[in-house]
Amino acid sequence: MTVPEVLKATVRIGATPAEVFPYFVDPVLMIQWIGEWADLCPEPGGLFALDFAKTPVRGQYLEVEPPRRVVFTWGVAGKDSLPPGSTTVEVTLTEDGPDTVVQLVHHDLPTEEFDGHLKGWTSMLDLLAHLHTGPQPGEAATDLRRPAPGGHA
Amino acid sequence: MSAARAGARVGSPDRGDAADAVLRALADPHRRQILRLVRGGELAAGQIASHFDATQQAVSHHLQVLARAGLVRERRVGARRLYALDPQALDPVREMLAELWPSALERLKYVVEQDQKNKPADPTRAGRKQ
Repeated sequence: MTVPEVLKATVRIGATPAEVFPYFVDPVLMIQWIGEWADLCPEPGGLFALDFAKTPVRGQYLEVEPPRRVVFTWGVAGKDSLPPGSTTVEVTLTEDGPDTVVQLVHHDLPTEEFDGHLKGWTSMLDLLAHLHTGPQPGEAATDLRRPAPGGHA
Repeated sequence: MSAARAGARVGSPDRGDAADAVLRALADPHRRQILRLVRGGELAAGQIASHFDATQQAVSHHLQVLARAGLVRERRVGARRLYALDPQALDPVREMLAELWPSALERLKYVVEQDQKNKPADPTRAGRKQ
């Protein structure tokens, strides 16, 4: 069974790296694109705390080099399977003409045999379950038994 | 911010439904335990039930949920039902996971570019109109 060891994503944005960079270090800007609440201390060793799809994502900044590079750790508070600090997200901003190319690599995701994989991914899966169904106001974080709202195909 | 909420949905409906069934099946610790038991090879329902305090009926229910999600394959041999892990069922979930960051970055692009558009003209960049 192949499991991705890393997740990669790239996007081209019509702005300079200096304009894009704050969206990775300023909590007010960050929650515009990921998460509902953030507490960020963007310096090496500083806190990275993001509530995302009702999941408390916790870690710390490892590298903060405006406006080209930011690295932070990513785990889930209270989950042995993906503890805070257990995985690393590396973001590189490269200027290309009037645009910025953002490259993101999520390292160190659990990849072992099935058991480790299953346990390791469960926290990420919980998070995905909420992204997929769309967070509902007042919905219990662990209630996955609720029928899919709407039922539209 | 409803646009961002809508953007948070990942995966197509079909693949999403398949992934949803898998996620629901995985959400229960007993069912995860069953998957660990059957990943090494086929086990009979009774052998699986012997690992749990729960009634055979309850274990049977968990096995049905796992089978419906495609996580286990059921095979009948005489009166016995044998179960084995089918790890391919995790594929749709893995694909959803692979879309997590790309969809987040698409929202980032949208937000940054909107903010740039709405930003008052910066005289040091745009030149002054006087």
